[in-house]
Amino acid sequence: MTEIKTEHVWPFERTSPLDPPPVFAELRATCPVSKVSTWNGREAWLLTRYADIRAVLADPGISSDLTIEGFPEPTPTVAAARGGQKNFARMDPPKHDEHRRMLAPDFKIHHVAELRGYLNELVDGLLDRMEELGGPLDLVDMLAQPVPSSVICQILDLPTERSDFFQDRVKTWMSFDNPPTVASQANQDILDYFSEVVDERFDEPGDDLISRMITNQVKAGNLGKDELLHILQLLLVGGFDTTANMIALGTLTLLNHPDQLALLRDDPSLVNSAVEELLRYLSVAHQVAFRLATDDIDLGAQCIHAGDGVIAPIAAANRDPEVFADPDKFDITRDARRHVAFGFGLHQCLGQPLARIELQVVFSKLFVRFPHLRLAGNPDDLAFRNSIIYGVAELPVIW
Amino acid sequence: MHISVAAERCIGSGNCVELAPRYFDQRDLDGVVEVLVSDVDASDESAVAEAADICPVSAILLGAGGAAQ
Repeated sequence: MTEIKTEHVWPFERTSPLDPPPVFAELRATCPVSKVSTWNGREAWLLTRYADIRAVLADPGISSDLTIEGFPEPTPTVAAARGGQKNFARMDPPKHDEHRRMLAPDFKIHHVAELRGYLNELVDGLLDRMEELGGPLDLVDMLAQPVPSSVICQILDLPTERSDFFQDRVKTWMSFDNPPTVASQANQDILDYFSEVVDERFDEPGDDLISRMITNQVKAGNLGKDELLHILQLLLVGGFDTTANMIALGTLTLLNHPDQLALLRDDPSLVNSAVEELLRYLSVAHQVAFRLATDDIDLGAQCIHAGDGVIAPIAAANRDPEVFADPDKFDITRDARRHVAFGFGLHQCLGQPLARIELQVVFSKLFVRFPHLRLAGNPDDLAFRNSIIYGVAELPVIW
Repeated sequence: MHISVAAERCIGSGNCVELAPRYFDQRDLDGVVEVLVSDVDASDESAVAEAADICPVSAILLGAGGAAQ
C-alpha cells in the first residue's frame, strides 16, 4: 500500500468562519486517509470520512493516553494544557471505564431531564435581565456563558459568585494564544480551588455531585482525592466553553439563515431538530479526537500501524456528503441525529444530555422573547476564538 | 426484531434511552443500559435500529424474530 503523505500541516485554516477548513472536503474527495504534519514535525494520519472516523474512534486498538510516546497534539500549548489533565478522558480501559461509571449516574438521561424546570427559570431570568438592560449588549456575556456556568455551579453546588473565576481560568486554559506555562497555571488554579472545596465537604457532605463522589468513591477507597480533583477539572472544562460557544455560534447561525429561523418560529417543535443540526453544522470541538494507535487498523486503502498518531476531526465527519446530503447547507429539518459532534467510541461526551437540554431550552426561548433579534455592528468585526473549542469572543446584539 | 446488549461495553451515553425510551433505560448504579422490552414492535423497528447504529460502542445487538405485531 502506498502511504499518502501530504504537505498539509495541522491545524488548518478556515476560509469562512462557520465552515470547517476546506482542506477536509478536498482531501475527502481525493485522498480521504492521508498523513499530515503537526507542530513538532511529527506525522499523523488525518481521517476525513464519517465512516473511517467512527470506525477508528470505536476501535479497541486506539488509545487516548497522551503520556504514550508519539501521542499527537495540535499545538505545544495544548500539549502542556492536556498534559496537566489526569482524568479518564486521557485514559484507556479498564481505568477509564471504572472512573466514567462513577459519574455516569449523574448524567443519566432521566436524571438530566429533571433539570428542565431549573433551566427554564434560569434562562427566563437571563432573558429578563437582557430585556431590562436593553440592547445593544453582548450575548456571550449575558446569556451564552451564564447558562452553562450556572448549571455547573448548580450541579457541583459551587457559589455562583465563583463563575467569573471559572470562566476566566477555563478560557485561559483553552486558548491557543497563551504560552504553555500560562495554560498549565490556569489548570493548577482550577485544581487548587477544587481541593479547597473537597476539603470543606469531606466531613460535612451535602447533596451534590462532589459530596457524592467523596462519600461513595473517595471514602470507599475507589478513588484518590487527586483523581477526584482531576475529574472535577474535566467536568468544568467539558461543560463551560462547549455549551457557551454553541449558544453564541448557534444564535449567529440562525441569524445568518433567516429562512431557517422563520421555520423555527413557525413551528417551535422543530427546536430539538434545530439543536442537532446546529451541533452537526458547527462541530465546535474542532481540536479534539487526537489518538494513538496501539494496534494496526485496516481502513481498506490504507493501514494505520501501531504507534501511529491519528487525527479524527468530528467537523470532517459531520460534513461528509455520503452521510449528510448537501452537507454544507444548514437545514433544521434534516435528520442530523447521526452526527458525531459529541465524538464517538468510549470517550463520547459524558455531558451530552446536559448540553442538549441546555441548548433546547435556550433556543426554544431566545427568539420568542426577542423576535427581532439581530447583530449589532459589523459582522466582519466578530472575533472568532482561537481555542480548543471554537467560538466567538463577543456577540453584540440588538432587538 | 429482538434486542440484546453487550452491557460490558456500555459507557452510559443514554442515546438509546433518548431514541427508544420504551425499550431502553439506564441502571441507577452506573448508568449502564437496561433492556426494558426485548421484542420490538414493527412500528418501532426504525427507532430501535437507529439507537443501535448511534450507540457509540456498538453495545446494542439486534437479531431477527420475536417481534410483536
